Amino acid sequence: MKKLLSAVFVLALNGCVAYDAYMLTSFDSNEYQLMAQIRIDARHFATACANPVMGKPNAVAMANETELFVAYSEYLPHNSDAVNAARALNEIAQGLKDRYNSGGAVSPLFCRLKFNGIEHSADLIQQTLGNRPR
Amino acid sequence: MTIDEINQQLAALANCGDPQFAQAAQYVAQATAAAQAGQMSPQELTETLQDMQRQMQIIQDMGQLQLKETLNTVINGLILIAAAAT
Repeated sequence: MKKLLSAVFVLALNGCVAYDAYMLTSFDSNEYQLMAQIRIDARHFATACANPVMGKPNAVAMANETELFVAYSEYLPHNSDAVNAARALNEIAQGLKDRYNSGGAVSPLFCRLKFNGIEHSADLIQQTLGNRPR
Repeated sequence: MTIDEINQQLAALANCGDPQFAQAAQYVAQATAAAQAGQMSPQELTETLQDMQRQMQIIQDMGQLQLKETLNTVINGLILIAAAAT
């Protein structure tokens, strides 16, 4: 019991952090599925970067997917870390779409680095979302 | 900061022992070399490096969330133990 009271005391020292953790958004299967979709699509789209016909539609599709993830996550309560990550991911994807829309040449390497970065980040986000409390 | 100093810091980051940061350093080095070889425009390199900063932000946010998830598990465990003790 002494150990328990000590632990409670330690947690009470930083009430905001403990409150944030206690109120943490539970596992959301829709959020998790969206991130899995982004990760898999980024992997597939990266292989099509050398194809000039597919580059732009894939970039638009990825920007839309990451925007949907932001829109889905942003009003879930106590979810600020995921929302911040979602916004950063969306900025990465929007940057590729904007470059295609600007009409200038987009190098296959740049396209591949964009999708690789999105896949890598989506993988990390998905892992973390998967550990949310049930 | 000179190019040599940047390269030294990249090498230090690549050998820091943290796989996330080591991979990031390798990514920066490859992107810079590719731009120097003409495979990417300077604007694309700039955006690629800005993406690195965005990815670092994501790593930081997910680290925070992971800590909260662990703390949540601890708190719920303590609540269960406390409830059982009463």
